[in-house]
Amino acid sequence: MTRSVGIVLVSHSRELASGLRSLLLQVAADGVAVEAAGGTADGRLGTSYDLVVAAVKRADRGSGVVVLPDLGSSVLTARAVLADHPTPDVVLVDTPFVEGAVAAAVIAASGADLATVVAAAREAQHVRKF
Amino acid sequence: MSGSSETRVVLTAALHARPAGQVVQAATRFSSEIEISYGERTVSARGVLGVMALGATAGTTVVLRAIGDDAAEAVTALAAVLATATD
Repeated sequence: MTRSVGIVLVSHSRELASGLRSLLLQVAADGVAVEAAGGTADGRLGTSYDLVVAAVKRADRGSGVVVLPDLGSSVLTARAVLADHPTPDVVLVDTPFVEGAVAAAVIAASGADLATVVAAAREAQHVRKF
Repeated sequence: MSGSSETRVVLTAALHARPAGQVVQAATRFSSEIEISYGERTVSARGVLGVMALGATAGTTVVLRAIGDDAAEAVTALAAVLATATD
């Protein structure tokens, strides 16, 4: 069985990232690597370059990783990490944090490849909540 | 040569996350445009958030429609996924 694409959640808040991670593990149980990089290393609000590096490493099972930032400096920090560790297998996606992550996790759980998971995450840009 | 195909499927499981993911993943294997209708709503079978947003529950009927070169195969394959999906 191919290993699923990994997902990294980058947020200013440790609780926000880990809460979304719990939600994704609930909706897409089957062994999808979802890793949270929320807050600073000492648990304050903010973003951490080192936490993002570690989360990408944990999420990478060989099929690629999508990195989803919440907003603002999460984007900048994730960009800095990817700029310093350039690889086509790790993709930063511009999409609503919750919807994009749910779409990515569900499709990753079904065994899709990286391009399909990225497309699923981007789909959330256009889907209305109701 | 473009064709069209349509079928009705009684869901064995609600179109929650996991079955919706299986449907979308199956749809990506075909070139045809594939839609799923439930009640008044119709969405692309390629979009997992749209499929989940249908809110289709177990035991209800959805309509699959496809237009394209592999329409018949696509509808058959997706119907099989929907008819065997589990939560």
